[in-house]
Amino acid sequence: MRAWARDRIGWDDLVHIAAKKRVPVHRYTLFYYLGGMALFLFLVQVATGILLLLYYRPSSSEAFESVQYVMADVPFGWLIRSIHSWGANLFVGVVIAHLISVLFLKAYRAPREMTWVTGAVLLFLALGFGFSGYLLPWNTLAFFATKVGTDVPAQIPVIGHLLSRILRGGSDVSGATLSRFYGIHVAILPAITTLILGAHLLLVQRHGMSIPRSVEGKSRRSISFVPEFLMRDMVGWLAAVGLLAALAAFFPWELGVKADPFASAPAGIRPEWYFLWMFQGLKYLPSKIAGIPGEMLGVFFFGALAAAVVAVPWLDRRGKQGVAVAAVLILIAAAVLTVLALLPVPTSARP
Amino acid sequence: MRNRLFVLVLLAGASSARAQSPPKAPPAVNGCIECHTVLDDPRITPPARLFADDVHAKAGFTCVFCHGGDARQEYQEDAHDPKKGFIGKPRPEQIPQICGKCHSDPALMKQYDPSQRVDQLSEYRTSGHGKALARGDIAVAQCASCHGAHGIQPVKDSRSPVSPTRVAQTCNHCHGDAALMAAHKLPSDPYEKWSRSVHYRARVEKADLSAPTCNSCHGNHGAAPPQVGSVTNVCGTCHVTFADQFKLSPHWEPFKDMGLPGCVTCHENHEIVKPSEAFLAEGAQSRCSSCHEAGSAGARAAAVMRADLVGLDGEIQRASRLVDRAAEAGMEVSKVRFDLVSASNALTKARSEVHLFRPSAVHVAVAEGLAVARKAAAGGEDRLKERDYRRRGLFVSLGLILLTITALVVKIREGVPGSRENGE
Repeated sequence: MRAWARDRIGWDDLVHIAAKKRVPVHRYTLFYYLGGMALFLFLVQVATGILLLLYYRPSSSEAFESVQYVMADVPFGWLIRSIHSWGANLFVGVVIAHLISVLFLKAYRAPREMTWVTGAVLLFLALGFGFSGYLLPWNTLAFFATKVGTDVPAQIPVIGHLLSRILRGGSDVSGATLSRFYGIHVAILPAITTLILGAHLLLVQRHGMSIPRSVEGKSRRSISFVPEFLMRDMVGWLAAVGLLAALAAFFPWELGVKADPFASAPAGIRPEWYFLWMFQGLKYLPSKIAGIPGEMLGVFFFGALAAAVVAVPWLDRRGKQGVAVAAVLILIAAAVLTVLALLPVPTSARP
Repeated sequence: MRNRLFVLVLLAGASSARAQSPPKAPPAVNGCIECHTVLDDPRITPPARLFADDVHAKAGFTCVFCHGGDARQEYQEDAHDPKKGFIGKPRPEQIPQICGKCHSDPALMKQYDPSQRVDQLSEYRTSGHGKALARGDIAVAQCASCHGAHGIQPVKDSRSPVSPTRVAQTCNHCHGDAALMAAHKLPSDPYEKWSRSVHYRARVEKADLSAPTCNSCHGNHGAAPPQVGSVTNVCGTCHVTFADQFKLSPHWEPFKDMGLPGCVTCHENHEIVKPSEAFLAEGAQSRCSSCHEAGSAGARAAAVMRADLVGLDGEIQRASRLVDRAAEAGMEVSKVRFDLVSASNALTKARSEVHLFRPSAVHVAVAEGLAVARKAAAGGEDRLKERDYRRRGLFVSLGLILLTITALVVKIREGVPGSRENGE
């Protein structure tokens, strides 16, 4: 069997590479596990997503009912859907934590710039997965949150309205939006993610783990990737599975009420937690700033911020703390805005 | 008297002539408004200012259509010339006739609002208000009392005192006046009682404009209390099934013979509260015991119907509690909730069947409801069992996960032979 594998897929070479790969041990080693955790949660999403595909029907007349069927009648359907929904949130959280840790440990230093760039793009893809998947159960909250979300690109001058129409498949959120969000969620994003993720993993493999400057040269301790680091990884993965199962059993993901495009928007509409800071930030902007619509400036700011995140390795000037200070300020602002968005809205302030 | 009659004839002639040729557009000069708005007299200036926003002004009608006179004249004595039909402020008894000149003219009204009725004046004459006015009682409502005199708005405009959301307060303006009502030997609490009714809650608190207000039962221009024999018909315009059932019931003929006012006998008129099973029991809220003595066939029939209704209500409550508990645990309960709605509908139907006053009819509806309510309760119990099954499964899985983690930790602590953890 081994000889068969050796001749056909070069098994011995793979074993040799795996045995040779080592992971440095120092006081920041714990952060190395975030990447593996993100990858594991992504695979959980893929597996549960494929199972949900077997029952989900992407049309405005059947989507809600098909998810309802999964939750009520399909054996362990509740478990799969709840793990998919909770897992999505955990995945985005871990990817964000991974990015923050890499940022502050300056692991994007040469020659790992492209590892950072692919990682940043993977974060945007994760957010895209979250945004497109949120609409799929076709419930009221998702419907109106998507309405707000797909309004945002309309602020971009010249192409904004066209972009919004392309996203929605028409002038408003409808069954056409659901079809294309489904296509984006299960085909387009997974295809792009597979390519970028492959490149990211290849680059991690090529350059190995980055050692933070503050511990560089202080320790030469290391452990083997297989099996020592992998075993530690598995402890985390098993804990994540336990957490997801507990969340699914005690807090099955709510389905809500079927979307009614003709109903008025209910109070308390808001997007997923990772978009809340932008949602709240746009609310505070005045209608005009120096004659330019406030929301348009807000959208430009978020676009510029996304570009800046991708360009971090080139913005960071050695010896200066500019990027770190900016990152801390932005993270504090995002945290404050998220908390403000989560605070209950006073009744009198509701539209 | 002769002079007054002369003025009225003149006015009628002038108005009638004008009524045949309605204004095409507002006149360029309206002397009345020009003088009355600048005189700064609290008696005559505010009405002149209000008129600018009046539905009639917007249609091109001017002051002279109601007050007579000549708006083109420069001097007051020419403008206010009685020979030109000037009547000044119309007296209350003149007002219905003045309004009716146009509003009872189908040919004229068709040119402005073809869907508007033209029988308001004849209706008014049949009303309590109209009859009293004809008797010379001017302390009663006429057109301007409810619609306003100047600044009149269409009824569907929320600024109108008779718009659907304001008509009750407008009626209460007089009907809540204790002194005025005492003089007319009428109660002054209908609004107060109505505001405690289910109709008030539906209309005012739930903004359901289909719920009745004063004019829904009393009529508007022909406002009068429904006669004893017509109460069931009036309530039946909305409560069709109840009225039909009541007419088929053994109570229909005796009530007529005894002169009892149908629905109002058990439900009151203005203070119509939410009916309950207590209506069928003995005690303070009982509606049956005022006619049926304890132990009589009627009282026994009421007790049987009550027991059936209470039984179904109790089963629905039990099922609701189970379903709520399952929903709180995050279980999918939409199908069970659908059964609960069906059971509640059956209870409503059973309560409606009470108006037939036959226990067997109520029992059939209750039996249908009980079957669905028990199905819903079983659904709730199943989901709670499923919740427990999930939690047991979780604990077993967590145990296995913990065991595997422990094994991994032990293995990690043992270390891997040949590893260079401490460096080369």
